[in-house]
Amino acid sequence: MAGDKKTKQLAKQLFKLSLVNGQVSAEQVAGVLGYIEKSAPRHPLALLKLYHRAIATEFAKSRAIVEHAGPISDSTLKLIEGAMTKKYARPVTASAQPNPKLFAGLRVRVGSDLYESTVSGQLANLSNAV
Amino acid sequence: MLPLLFAVTEAAHEAGVAEKFGLEWKFVVLQVISFLILFGVLYKFGIKPTIATMEERNKKIESGLKNAEETQVRLAAAAQESAALIKQAQQDAQKVVDEARKTAKEFADRQNAEATARAADTLAKAQQAIELEHKKMLNEARGEIARLVVKTTEQVLAKKLTDTDRAAYNDAATKELTTI
Repeated sequence: MAGDKKTKQLAKQLFKLSLVNGQVSAEQVAGVLGYIEKSAPRHPLALLKLYHRAIATEFAKSRAIVEHAGPISDSTLKLIEGAMTKKYARPVTASAQPNPKLFAGLRVRVGSDLYESTVSGQLANLSNAV
Repeated sequence: MLPLLFAVTEAAHEAGVAEKFGLEWKFVVLQVISFLILFGVLYKFGIKPTIATMEERNKKIESGLKNAEETQVRLAAAAQESAALIKQAQQDAQKVVDEARKTAKEFADRQNAEATARAADTLAKAQQAIELEHKKMLNEARGEIARLVVKTTEQVLAKKLTDTDRAAYNDAATKELTTI
C-alpha cells in the first residue's frame, strides 16, 4: 500500500504539471507521458490510470453535457455555457445529448455536479413524495 | 382394775350376796388374775401387733390415698398442660394454615397480575403489528398508485407532448438552470 500512496502522490504531481493557467495543456500532457515512458516508474500501469482519471475529471469539469428531449437551439447551449463558465470560473463548453426519456426539459452534468429541470425529474420527485 | 375388784368384793361382803350365790372370793380373784394374765398375753402378742399392723396398713392406705390424690392432681395438671399444648399446637397449626392460605392467595394474585400484564403486552404488540401492517399496506398501495399515475402520465406525455411544447419547456428549463 505504501507503493500505492507514492504512486498517487506522483500521479497528483504529474497532473499539476499538466496544467497551464488552470487548464490542461496538450503539450504538457505529452511531456508528462514522455517522462513516464522514459523514466519507467514503479507501477506504471496504476500511475497511468490515476493520471488518466485526473485528466478526465479535469476535462469533465470543463464540459457541460446537456441532456434534452425535444429541440434545443445553439443559443440555449450558449446560455448554459455562459452560466456554467460564470459559476465555475473557468471555460466550460456545452454539448447536447438527446435523451427522450426526459420527455421535456434539460439535464446538465458538469463533472460530478448535476442540474436538472425535466418532466421526468418532476414526475420522479412526485412519485417519491407520495 | 384392782380398785374395782376390791369395791365389788367389799360390796359383796356388805350385802352378803356372794354367800347367797355360792361365790368364793378366792376363785374369783384367781380368775380375775388369770384373766388379766391372759389379757396381758393377748394384748402383747395378739392385740398390740394387730393394732400395729392395722395402724401400718392405715398409714399405707393413707399414703396410698395421698399418693393417689397427688397423682390425680398431677394427672389433672398434666391434662391441663396437655390441653394447653394441644390448644397452642392448634393455634400454631391454624396460624400456619392461615399463612399458607395467605401465601397461596398472594401467589395466585401475582400470577393473575402477571398473566394480565402479559396478555395486555401481547395485545399491545398485536395492535402495533396490525398498525404497522396497515401502514405498510397503505404505503405500498400509495406507492403503487403513484407508480401507476407516473407511468400513465409518462405515456400520455410521450403521446401528447409536441415539439413546440418541449421547446417551450426547454426554454423555461434553460432560464431556470442559468439562474442557479
